[in-house]
Parts: sequence; structure tokens; C-alpha cells
Amino acid sequence: MTEVIANGVGFHIQRLLPRQELSRSKRPVVFIHGLAIDNLSSFYYTLANPVAHAGSEVILYDLRGHGLSERPRTGYQISDSVADLAAILDSLGVDGPVHLVGYSFGGAIALSFAVAYPDRVTSMLLIEAHVPVPGWAEQMAARIRKIALDVAGSDVGRWIAPKRKHARLAVVDDLINNTTLVTDLLASKPLPQQELRMFARPVRAVYGAHSDILGHAHLLDSLLSEYTLTVLPGLDHWLLSNAPQVLRGIVLDWFAAQAEVGAR
Amino acid sequence: MTPDQIFAEVRAMLIEIIGAEYALSLDIDMETSFDADLELESIELVKLSAMLTERYGDRVDFVAFLATKDLDEIIEMTVGDLVTHVARCQALTGALND
Repeated sequence: MTEVIANGVGFHIQRLLPRQELSRSKRPVVFIHGLAIDNLSSFYYTLANPVAHAGSEVILYDLRGHGLSERPRTGYQISDSVADLAAILDSLGVDGPVHLVGYSFGGAIALSFAVAYPDRVTSMLLIEAHVPVPGWAEQMAARIRKIALDVAGSDVGRWIAPKRKHARLAVVDDLINNTTLVTDLLASKPLPQQELRMFARPVRAVYGAHSDILGHAHLLDSLLSEYTLTVLPGLDHWLLSNAPQVLRGIVLDWFAAQAEVGAR
Repeated sequence: MTPDQIFAEVRAMLIEIIGAEYALSLDIDMETSFDADLELESIELVKLSAMLTERYGDRVDFVAFLATKDLDEIIEMTVGDLVTHVARCQALTGALND
């Protein structure tokens, strides 16, 4: 476990080192989780440890405002998240390219990072990734407001709730209602699609057939030259919690293939 | 290490995670439940996992330990279950050198 100050914010980081000797061709794998109710634990218990066991160095971090990272009042535009990731990698001494794995909103960060720092990304694996297209921010803001309402309407009331569980809900409520998260999302600029077209590294995407953002998968197909899409039948947006074993197989196959490419 | 010594160390880790203030209201023993009593959330289990690895090394693979359990078993897990797991791992790999 590591705690670093990066871009002026304290971040909770978990760095998993491979048990077998590191191959020189293997780049670190950085996992980026989703928004609001998510944190690095969703990757930690599903994909991250198997990837580390297969021989890659793994870096997980809690986004600002999430998990055990600091929760500043401001700085929640996607460009802030991109700057956070760059600063975290700098602070860890990772200056070469990395593999990015992004889930949901974490996919939007991965894509934006790849546009901003194409030389620092060797591949991307996107799971139900949001693509910041025009109008997307409004949809995300609506999703987050719904989460806030769900939290406020939770039957875990202030007077009957166990103390720590109530505190946990209060953290999500604080992130959504007392920081600039929603206004910053609305102010985030759409992903510059022409610049994404320039990204020539391999990208693997996985979506559920019943995902409400399946259109994003097809948009990426039209933009990226080295793109492979898998659509999983019978599943929706919540792949990480509903189909972790299927994802595990896809992810391990992907990184085994990337290691072979890197070794050539 | 004896199970009592392991329990004392695990108890200290849990108090650090949940906070001394909340821990004051609890009498953490071998029967204490991770969910019902300590109300640990997933990100705190990550922190516990990292602390266990830091203290005991890879021999105590908490993630693999959890992977052997279904959700009901994880919810019902007690401090004693973890202490037993740590003791068993140590017995398999030899005594821990302090």
C-alpha cells in the first residue's frame, strides 16, 4: 500500500508486484475504476491480482474523492483526472508507457489520457467505457444525481443505521453534493475525436449486449485503427460485478498476447 | 507465532483500519464478525490485505483466501477465521522469523 501526494492531492495506491520474474517486455498495468460509488477494490478482487500473478506489475489507485484517497472540494473535470494519473505515474517513477484498464468512467479517463499522452500508453483495455461525446456529460450528471437521490432515500436512516455504514453513505453524499463533481463533469470538454484517431496502439473493448452505452463501443470502432470489440450476450453495464470470471479470461488472454507482441 | 500473538497483531491492524474511536465501542475478539460487528467495507478489506502481506509476506494470500469463499461465507467471516488462516499458512511454511 502506498499513499502519494500527486497533483496536490493525497492518493491511495495499491502496487502489486508479480511473483514470477518480470519480463522486460512487460509494462505496468494501471487500473482505473468508475465514478461515485466505485473504488479500486472492484478491480482488486476481480482482475488485478490475477494479472499480477500472471507476471505483470499492477498499479491500482483510488480516484480523487473516492475510496481512501483525499476528497478535495474541486478538481473533478476529466482533464483533472488525466493530470492526476500523469502525476501519480511520475510520483511512482513510472516514466515509460503503461497498459491502461478502465471501467466505465475510468474508461473515459483512459481514453482522455491516451489523447493527452499517447507516448505513455502502450495499450488500452476498456470495459464498458464511457466516451465523452457531446451531450455525454449531461447524461453522466443525471446518473450521478440519481445516485445521490438513491443514497438520500436509502433505508439506512441516520438514526437506525450502524455508525460506520452511515458514515460511508455520507462520504458518497458529500462527494456528489458538496464538491464540484457534477459541475466539473458538465464543464468537461468532449474527447477530441480527431486526436483519438491518431492513437495507433492496440485497444480491446468489452461491453454487455444490453449495455445502455453500447453505442460508445461502435463509435470507438469508427475511430480506432487497432480496435477489437467483444460484446457479451445477456449482460449489461455492470460487467465487473456480474461477469468477473468471463472478464478475467479476456484480460489474461489480452496481456499474454501483449507480452508476446512486446517480446518480438 | 502462537494464535494469541497473531490475534493481537490482527486486532491492532483492524483498530487502525476502523479507527480507534469506533474501536472503543467494540470488544474485538475471535468471534467478532467482519461485516456485522466491524462493518468493514471492500476498500477496507483491501487495506487489511495489504497490511497482512506487509506483515506476513505473500504466504498469507488474503485475496486467494477470500476467493475460496462464497459471498455468504465472506459476510459471516470472523476475526478468528482470519487468525486461523494466518496460523495455518505459517504452519505450512515454517515459523515466522520476527
